[in-house]
Amino acid sequence: MSKIIHKSSWYLLALVLVVLGTAPAWASQYLVFFCLLCCVYLAMSQAWNLLIGFSGLFSLGQPVFIGLAGYTVAVSTNYFGLSAWTGLLLGALVCLLFALFMSLFIFRVTGIYYGIITLIFPESLLLLFSNWEYVKYAQGMFIKPPHTVSITEIYYAAFFIGFGALALVYFILRSNVGLGLMAMRDNEDVASTMGVETFRLKVYCFLLSALVTGFAGGIYYIFLVFIQPQEAFSIAWSVKLIFIVIIGGIGTIEGPIVGTFIYVFLSQYLADYFSVSMIILGAIAIAVILLAPKGITGTLQEKLKFRSLLPRRE
Amino acid sequence: MGSGVALKIDGLAVHYRDFQALRDISLEAKEGQIVSVIGANGAGKSTLLRSISGILIPSAGTIDFFGERINGLAPHETVSRGLSMVPEGRHIFPRLTVHENLLMGCYTPKSRSQRRRVLDKIFHLFPVLEARRDQMGNTLSGGEQQMLAIGRALMSEPRVILCDEISLGLAPVVIKGIYKELKSINEEGITIVLVEQDIKRSLKAAHYAYVLLQGRVVLHGEPSALREEEVRKAYFGV
Amino acid sequence: MQDLIQPIINGILLGGLYAVIAIGLSTIMGIVKVMNFAHGDMMILCSYLSLAFVTFLGVSPFLAFFVIIPLMYFIGYAYQRFLLNRVLGLEMDPPLIVAFGVSIILQNVLLLAFTPDARTLMTSIGLQTITVSRHLQIPVNYLIDFLIGLAVIVCLYYFFQKSFLGRAIRAASDDEMAAKLMGVNSKVTYARAMGIATMTAGIAGILVGMTFTFYPFTGSQYLFVAFGVAIIAGLGSMRGTFVAGITLAVAQLLGGHFLGPGYQMISGHMVLLIVLLVKPKGIFGTV
Repeated sequence: MSKIIHKSSWYLLALVLVVLGTAPAWASQYLVFFCLLCCVYLAMSQAWNLLIGFSGLFSLGQPVFIGLAGYTVAVSTNYFGLSAWTGLLLGALVCLLFALFMSLFIFRVTGIYYGIITLIFPESLLLLFSNWEYVKYAQGMFIKPPHTVSITEIYYAAFFIGFGALALVYFILRSNVGLGLMAMRDNEDVASTMGVETFRLKVYCFLLSALVTGFAGGIYYIFLVFIQPQEAFSIAWSVKLIFIVIIGGIGTIEGPIVGTFIYVFLSQYLADYFSVSMIILGAIAIAVILLAPKGITGTLQEKLKFRSLLPRRE
Repeated sequence: MGSGVALKIDGLAVHYRDFQALRDISLEAKEGQIVSVIGANGAGKSTLLRSISGILIPSAGTIDFFGERINGLAPHETVSRGLSMVPEGRHIFPRLTVHENLLMGCYTPKSRSQRRRVLDKIFHLFPVLEARRDQMGNTLSGGEQQMLAIGRALMSEPRVILCDEISLGLAPVVIKGIYKELKSINEEGITIVLVEQDIKRSLKAAHYAYVLLQGRVVLHGEPSALREEEVRKAYFGV
Repeated sequence: MQDLIQPIINGILLGGLYAVIAIGLSTIMGIVKVMNFAHGDMMILCSYLSLAFVTFLGVSPFLAFFVIIPLMYFIGYAYQRFLLNRVLGLEMDPPLIVAFGVSIILQNVLLLAFTPDARTLMTSIGLQTITVSRHLQIPVNYLIDFLIGLAVIVCLYYFFQKSFLGRAIRAASDDEMAAKLMGVNSKVTYARAMGIATMTAGIAGILVGMTFTFYPFTGSQYLFVAFGVAIIAGLGSMRGTFVAGITLAVAQLLGGHFLGPGYQMISGHMVLLIVLLVKPKGIFGTV
């Protein structure tokens, strides 16, 4: 039974890949937008899942990378005339450096504090950018690259990072690094006595998730063309990521995929009501954690006893 | 000795997830007795005591406390019925003073009202505790901590005390003193279930003994009736 | 030099308020071992409830202390008993997610119910100042905050030292299993501890409301204040929390004095980050 499910999930994944990979060819503009969002959130949620589901890091700092990447793109294109893609690469670099900086503080404390310490950074950056003349304060900036980027280009960038992140996480988990991560997740003290360098692993995962999230965030803003601090560094990003990963299933690879589709679908209906959508997302996340903590894929895996996209070697 | 049966365990089974720690345990402690439960590490002795006090829920079997069924009750419910435990490793509250530790022993509303009287009794029994009354728990020596743990268990004036490996890590002369106190506590009518790895000492103190091996009772009887060789064989599973 | 007296004195007074803000969070972190993200929002919830109470009944905000604060106890009790207790266990993340979720829900419910406009509970007494010298004017509301804050801390201290429930809470945070063996029902005890923590958060919320303006997202600001104080203090010391409150407040006000009022909050964050780098266990930590 599990072999059949295993095989059919690969077919399903291939189908999803083909459908999404060819979207600009057959889909309406609205649908392309929908698919693009899916790819962006897929990347971000895989990155966040790597942190919380596999490294035991409850990070609320992801908006930092989304905002920094977006603003790097805005500044590079507006003030330095660089292309959007150069700006994106610079943005990823900025995220990496800032993540290194954050690591100085985050890993000094025990796990219970990760959430709030990581939260300080987006909150502080929000305040800083809102008061910074260079980035036009809270009014925000338009992203005007010297040559306009076509929707198709942006879409494939998003597609690349989305499924690239998925592949990356898959191969990491299959490797020795992945074994170390899962050992660390199960019991950190035991893992470190067995030679797993827990500190280094955590930092690597954090840096990697910063890179991926930065890329995805940068692409999002290239598409959106407009960036403001209160949106770019908003805690709302974390709420969405939590929703996606929790409802999909923490600590599974399939989870964020399922969660992303559910979220993007749901968000179309909630688009006009920010507060209501936050309340609903929050309430659903709490309900899922209380009642079915493993999320959709996790619970299914438990009941049917299978792992569809098996990250471990057989 | 009283005439009642303080503790009666019948067909007890306890699982840790898939692992069965106790199988079909049947045991009895008459009121006023000292009952020894002996066994090597991993035999299931602590598991047994934890199931009695309510920290663990048995998967099968019954536990009767003075005729009342208590299996499945939470620890705070067994305590209020007159059952006290001195846990393995003492587990005194490190950041509370000796006095506060003892006061925690009479947390249940019934025992609270008696606290001054009982506190005097405990200080009489263990004078060193009175001397260290306002010191933090974690500044006490091993032997003193053990006395504190026992004194704390006595504060609720229990009818039955479960003692889990109280001689672990203590010097022989200290252990001797503690066993002497245990005897005088028992002479007041308190039933004691004593879990130990030390065969000689616990057999000497007990009125009745059980030997546990891999979660089963493999031997039981009055210590005078048991030959040391028999006990040793049962203990090691030879 | 003399114009530093004002921000320093203000900081000391404000520190009393900061200590009260922090003590609820600190207690829960030490006992239940959960980072209660909703702490700041519970504070502001109480500010809003008091506002509604004062507006509809036309009474003084001081009356809110006697009516709304007991309500906060039940809110905190229910929050712990029915939400957090259910996810306390081996894994660290579920309680954090629940707390974070409650925080987001509270903020947005308040936003919907009360709009994003700034509100206040300021009274006419509070707006007055006592002039001590040319360089020093003591704002009365800061003074009230300090005195009430001090009173709360002292009461809490005696509660934890002398009462059976207080002792049980401390025992349960030291060793939960042993506490259970003493007859402590840990689920109920944790709920009571959260009830008390939420009450102090409520008191802090009313004080904040009487001293400053507030709006639905103010909770996050004060969550960081609370956390900052808790980190500087280290867990487990009441006295440490009081001193840490003063330290953070003085640092904030001096930062605002030298860098400009917009940098007040960030100065606080800077101090927090520095302490994290240098002494992660806090200056007074006993844990």
